[in-house]
Amino acid sequence: MIRNLTELYQYRALLIALSIRELKARYRASVLGFLWTFLNPTLNMLVYVLVFGMVMRASVPNYAYYLFTGLLPWLYFSSSVLGGTSSISDRKDLLTKVRFPAQVLPATVVLTNLINFLLSLPLLLGLGLFFGVVPSWHIVFLVPVLLVQTFFILAVTYLFAALNVAFRDLQHIVGNLVQMAFFLTPVLWDLKSAPAIGSLTKEESQQLLLTFNPMASVVASYRDIFYEQRLPNWQPLLSVAALSLVLMWISTNVFERRREEFAELV
Amino acid sequence: MTPSGDAIVINNLFKSFKKTSKKNEHTTVKSELVRLLKGQRRLVEPGTHIEALRGVDLRIPKGATVGIIGRNGSGKSTLLKLMTGIYSPTTGTIDVHGRVSALLELGAGFHPDFTGRENILINGIILGMSRGELKERMPGIIEFAELGDFIDEPVRTYSSGMFMRLAFAVATHVDPDVLIIDEILSVGDEHFGRKSQTKMNEFRRSGKTIVLVTHDLATVQNWCSAAAWIDGGRIRMYGDAPSVVNEYRRAVAAAEAEGQKTGHSALDQPGLALPTMDEVQGGVPLGTIAAVRLKDGKGATPAAFAPAAPLTVEVDWAVREKAKVRFGIDLMSADGRLVFSTGWDGGELSGSGTARLELARLGLGGGVYELLVSAAGNGEPVKNPFRLALHVAPTEGVGLLRPELRWSL
Repeated sequence: MIRNLTELYQYRALLIALSIRELKARYRASVLGFLWTFLNPTLNMLVYVLVFGMVMRASVPNYAYYLFTGLLPWLYFSSSVLGGTSSISDRKDLLTKVRFPAQVLPATVVLTNLINFLLSLPLLLGLGLFFGVVPSWHIVFLVPVLLVQTFFILAVTYLFAALNVAFRDLQHIVGNLVQMAFFLTPVLWDLKSAPAIGSLTKEESQQLLLTFNPMASVVASYRDIFYEQRLPNWQPLLSVAALSLVLMWISTNVFERRREEFAELV
Repeated sequence: MTPSGDAIVINNLFKSFKKTSKKNEHTTVKSELVRLLKGQRRLVEPGTHIEALRGVDLRIPKGATVGIIGRNGSGKSTLLKLMTGIYSPTTGTIDVHGRVSALLELGAGFHPDFTGRENILINGIILGMSRGELKERMPGIIEFAELGDFIDEPVRTYSSGMFMRLAFAVATHVDPDVLIIDEILSVGDEHFGRKSQTKMNEFRRSGKTIVLVTHDLATVQNWCSAAAWIDGGRIRMYGDAPSVVNEYRRAVAAAEAEGQKTGHSALDQPGLALPTMDEVQGGVPLGTIAAVRLKDGKGATPAAFAPAAPLTVEVDWAVREKAKVRFGIDLMSADGRLVFSTGWDGGELSGSGTARLELARLGLGGGVYELLVSAAGNGEPVKNPFRLALHVAPTEGVGLLRPELRWSL
């Protein structure tokens, strides 16, 4: 794991250059260009507000802002995983023609989406101000939350990217998995409104969700920082960090074991 | 430890690939899960793997220019990819000392929407240059590519020649210790071709190691200090370039002759080794051609013949027993077209001797031609027809033919 990540650090120039290119290329041919970085999540949010706003407006004040605090970190996660899964299998041109550290490719996808996410944060704060929510000092906790989230995303993306080279079925499955995870994550709905599952109480089922869905804890932390303006609950966040570490260990092991076949199978 | 004099050391290198074309043998999630659950290791089962390289040993000294030749599917490109580190060996070792730059495909990672300048940056970093190095070399690269104002236009507006020039310029400015090239010396028009040739010569002079895979045997002969002939995944021959190339040519010619007689030959089967000379000969041959020499009017063999000079082809022959011998010589242009063909009955011959074909005047335009010298004893063709290159010095005008001509007013 350490070797894989230090190698990534050694190739940071490549990683950064590829990410910048990715960002530039993404909107190059469009009229509105870079504005799409902000327009995309905004439009996405408006769609959800239109559909779910009717139901939720009563129980959650400033629903649009509430939704946005969860949607932005979710989009960071989902576009990284969706884009990262095929990041290696799609780059036959690079992998078979030059000696190329393969982990740079999924990392590039993650970094690109991270930058996109950071760029859209002012939009989030702006929307907050629009609803009269002035950002509080709790915003400094964004740093550890973002670190944990990025580490988690990188681990997931590594794993999927490495496996997808040999099993292309994965890229089709991942789309559906991510969509399912979206509904299992309190982005559109409030964690407290989670229904009781089976014989469990409401609290227990919420706990279950936080335990088995790392993104639920991550989104909840963002909510704490930006919406509730309080300290994020560190317990679930720490367990996400621990889980990410284990996952990263597994991912890099799988990655290293499979990397030899990348050039042959892409 | 390897002696410091070697740039590349390969020991007993094997590389096999999994066959993916066979039905029911795709890896699927299911088959892989089953394998995982059963705790099986990925087995190398006979028949499901293709062995591209089967025990290659090769030492390439520092500063050498080595041409790698062989038929399609003999394992040349696989070997290059192993040298570059794109593939890793199945078994065996490969050690490369120094910074490697591979020109396997030009323009890896070029993005059509970006300008030439932006693509130099990204491509350069992909090829292993640092930002500082790139900044320093950028003017040199731009100048070498000769794109003029196009350097700030998106690459998708480039002609294919411009694209290749830019890519070639970046790749050759990496300043590697070991340069690995796959069939790309012919980039762009004549002018740029010469320029890249000069660049390559510069590499060679400055003591860089160059490994080159090509089907252009003339380049190997003229330009490489050594050649390795790969056949059926093994090194068939490794030594000085002209003799390896000659041996290779003879083997191909022999396999072709075999194919003409039996209707199939090793050449039809990809990956199969060419038969060795002994195999082809199959028993004691009736007759052989021992050597072929090309001479001009003075009995000398110049590097290139003048179009107006006389040419003598001397064929040393030998027969085991008395036989009716017929000699044949075909002259082919570089693109394989027959320029002329001549045959001659030498009558009943025995023992050995030399047959001569004399052309009072060569009459060919400048370029490289190929002579195919064959013979038949009692209607049975020799198993080892000779192929050799004939270089004709360039003159005013182009074309295959150079008749004696005179302009006047």
